[in-house]
Amino acid sequence: MKSFSRSWLSAAFIAGVTLFGTIFSAPVPAAAEDKTLIVRFYDDPAGFDPANIFRIENENIAFNIFSGLTTYDSKTGQIVPDLAESWETKDNITWTFHLRKGVQWQKGYGEFTAADVIYSYKRILDPATASPYVSELTGIDTMEAPDPYTVVIKLKAANGNFLHTVANYHQGQIVKKEAIEAAGDQVRWKPVGTGPYYLDSIDVNSRIVLKRHDGYYKGPAPIATLDFHIIKDDATAAIALRNGEIDLLMRESKEEQLQILKDAGFKMNHVDNYAASIKVLNLTDPILKDVRVRQAIAYAIDYPAITAAISPSLQAPAYSLLMPWMDVFSKEAPEYKFDAEKAKKLLAEAGYPNGFTLKVLNTSAQGVTEQQQFEIDYLSQVGIKMELELVDTPTYNQRRNKGDFMMAGRLLPAVNPDMILFSYLHPDNIAPKGLNGARYNNPELTSALEAARAEADPEKRMDLYAKVQKIAMTDLPYIPATASNVYWPSKTNVTGVTINYLAQVNFWEIDK
Amino acid sequence: MLTYSLKRLAQLFVTVLGVVTLVFFTMRMIPGDPISAMAGDNLSGAALDQMRGQMGLNDPLLIQYLKYLGHLAVLDFGNTVTTKLPIVGLILGALPVTVSIALGTILLTVLISIPLGTLAAYMAHKGHRMLDNIITGVAMVLDLMPSFWTSLVCLLIFSLTLGWFPASGTVSIDDPGQLLRRVALPVLVLSMAQVATLARITRTSVLEVLSEDYVRTARSMGWSELRVLFRHALKNAALPIVTVIGLSFGNLLNGTVIVEFIFTLPGIGNLLVGGMNSRDYQMVQTLIVFYAMIFVLINFTTDLIYRVFDPRVQF
Repeated sequence: MKSFSRSWLSAAFIAGVTLFGTIFSAPVPAAAEDKTLIVRFYDDPAGFDPANIFRIENENIAFNIFSGLTTYDSKTGQIVPDLAESWETKDNITWTFHLRKGVQWQKGYGEFTAADVIYSYKRILDPATASPYVSELTGIDTMEAPDPYTVVIKLKAANGNFLHTVANYHQGQIVKKEAIEAAGDQVRWKPVGTGPYYLDSIDVNSRIVLKRHDGYYKGPAPIATLDFHIIKDDATAAIALRNGEIDLLMRESKEEQLQILKDAGFKMNHVDNYAASIKVLNLTDPILKDVRVRQAIAYAIDYPAITAAISPSLQAPAYSLLMPWMDVFSKEAPEYKFDAEKAKKLLAEAGYPNGFTLKVLNTSAQGVTEQQQFEIDYLSQVGIKMELELVDTPTYNQRRNKGDFMMAGRLLPAVNPDMILFSYLHPDNIAPKGLNGARYNNPELTSALEAARAEADPEKRMDLYAKVQKIAMTDLPYIPATASNVYWPSKTNVTGVTINYLAQVNFWEIDK
Repeated sequence: MLTYSLKRLAQLFVTVLGVVTLVFFTMRMIPGDPISAMAGDNLSGAALDQMRGQMGLNDPLLIQYLKYLGHLAVLDFGNTVTTKLPIVGLILGALPVTVSIALGTILLTVLISIPLGTLAAYMAHKGHRMLDNIITGVAMVLDLMPSFWTSLVCLLIFSLTLGWFPASGTVSIDDPGQLLRRVALPVLVLSMAQVATLARITRTSVLEVLSEDYVRTARSMGWSELRVLFRHALKNAALPIVTVIGLSFGNLLNGTVIVEFIFTLPGIGNLLVGGMNSRDYQMVQTLIVFYAMIFVLINFTTDLIYRVFDPRVQF
């Protein structure tokens, strides 16, 4: 026993010394020839196959690996050329795209041609791919490649928004047949595109490494390596930035951390009004089916005051379903500025002079938020008793789809205004089939919406969209509440961080 | 001994089967499923339903259960629902991180709390209540501080202000130095709570044996107080201490969830929370089976260690 404990002790001693040695020996710095940008990534990656991709952070990686025929200008959100140098259409039915020559695929897959475009769209349309984005492309009637640098797409019906469909996003991202086939069932982890960066390595629990695609058609990116570190906690991420462990913090979502980073002199890269957060009113509800009640709710809550009080950086009030930067946004639609008296009057007219109980379904992810506390307070001032029902996110999603709620919420993350209006207001998309969670159906709006999509004349098209927005904001199946702002704080030496209206960053523009 | 081990093995089998069945059905009783968790906000109901069909989630529950048992029987744990990666690979990748944290915590806890608890017992035995009260009081305060809070405080002090340890960065078993730097703070945080429990147990057990006859005999033989305390008293008080250490180790393996989140460590707890949030049935089921096996194994090991301390223990 004695000899046992003695040898055990000496072993422990040696282990202790080794331990100290390793803890305090400084790591050897790597040779700094090529620039590396260390970026915070905030959740577990879920894969980068355009046909089956979800969540903004994954989409942001794919955005830098792939290209579309068109893409979005980082600053204005407008459609600009990408793999297609130019395009023409006379009737919004037949679209001819002229492709850029000499574009190289990553990982030695050769030159990009028209056949790749047709393969990519056919892949989405193929039921075997099981892409949830298939409905975006079902409007295609035929696709042809008269030569390797021209694609002619004929649609079943006129669609003035087709350039959004072929943008560098989801179904619009062009993939390479040979690479897809080589990857087999691991496509989501082996993306090959024509974008500025390619996926070098990935550890799904901790790290994603992208390397510069030297053959990128706009020229190689300034930063050679993008090293994404998964840091889930917002406070930890802020500490990592202050510690100099990361260069760029993808999406800081805590107001107090933003304040600390701002005070510490970090660069506060941000985009405002990227998406509206709306209240979904279930029109099958006996109380909410009265438009006066819906308008009363809108008048009763002062969102500008709420956002200014709780998150002046991360939120702004929203006044419409569409954001002011969108090309078809209309200023003519009615807005509901805070007016408690008007709300009371509308309620009395609707037969609820003493108010009613409004049950609000929400996700428990953030607990009872400050915003909800304010909403309860504002509504109580006009006699509406707001009852919160907090459930976990999957339950929330399911009950919203089924229509098992009175009022719920949604975020509208899309750059395509037509897609927002169609998904949320067209009767074909009434949930659970589509995203029209309010179960809204107004034939007048529907016909204007369909006409707008087909209209080739820009002015007439704009008028029709203005009409749609006017009706929607009068009927009010959805109440715009707040618009989100997105922050990517960085070290001061990091330049060119522009967050686009999909809340994504084009890393090709970044240097340090 | 052999019969005992076999009996334990049979127990393991029954336990795991029970756990598997329970988890399989409770997971599916919770509202929501992997598909709505993954894409619920951006996809229409029709698209979601099509994806469910692809993954076999529209099959009758019993069929799904039998299929699952079939795979389990040949030790095929399958791929995650959301990322299509092999689950066993993910668990094996995450295991070293969590085991390092758990082992480090146990080691630090034992090194601090056993001498501390023994000292407190000795002082109490001698009638010096003061030191005993201080030790017990401090242990209690440490125990009651929530780990998410102590984690952030530790980050602020040791990472941001003093710059001793990084708040983020990769963790790999291939780089033990970096691994140690990254797990040091979590180990410290978790030890705070563990020290409290173990020190209290040590104090109580040692205090009990200090008034035994053989301790008095040992003293009367002229041995030093230290030798009496650690060789005679502590060794005889060891059984409950070993039990608590064994249980703590098991709890630590699945109790590292919060520190793994805050210190961004890619361990088992991270997988479990991620799996739960995304309703990744396959992932959660496999992890629970894994935990069940670990607990049975730890109990078994604890029993074996009893014999080292008390040869009278028979199996």
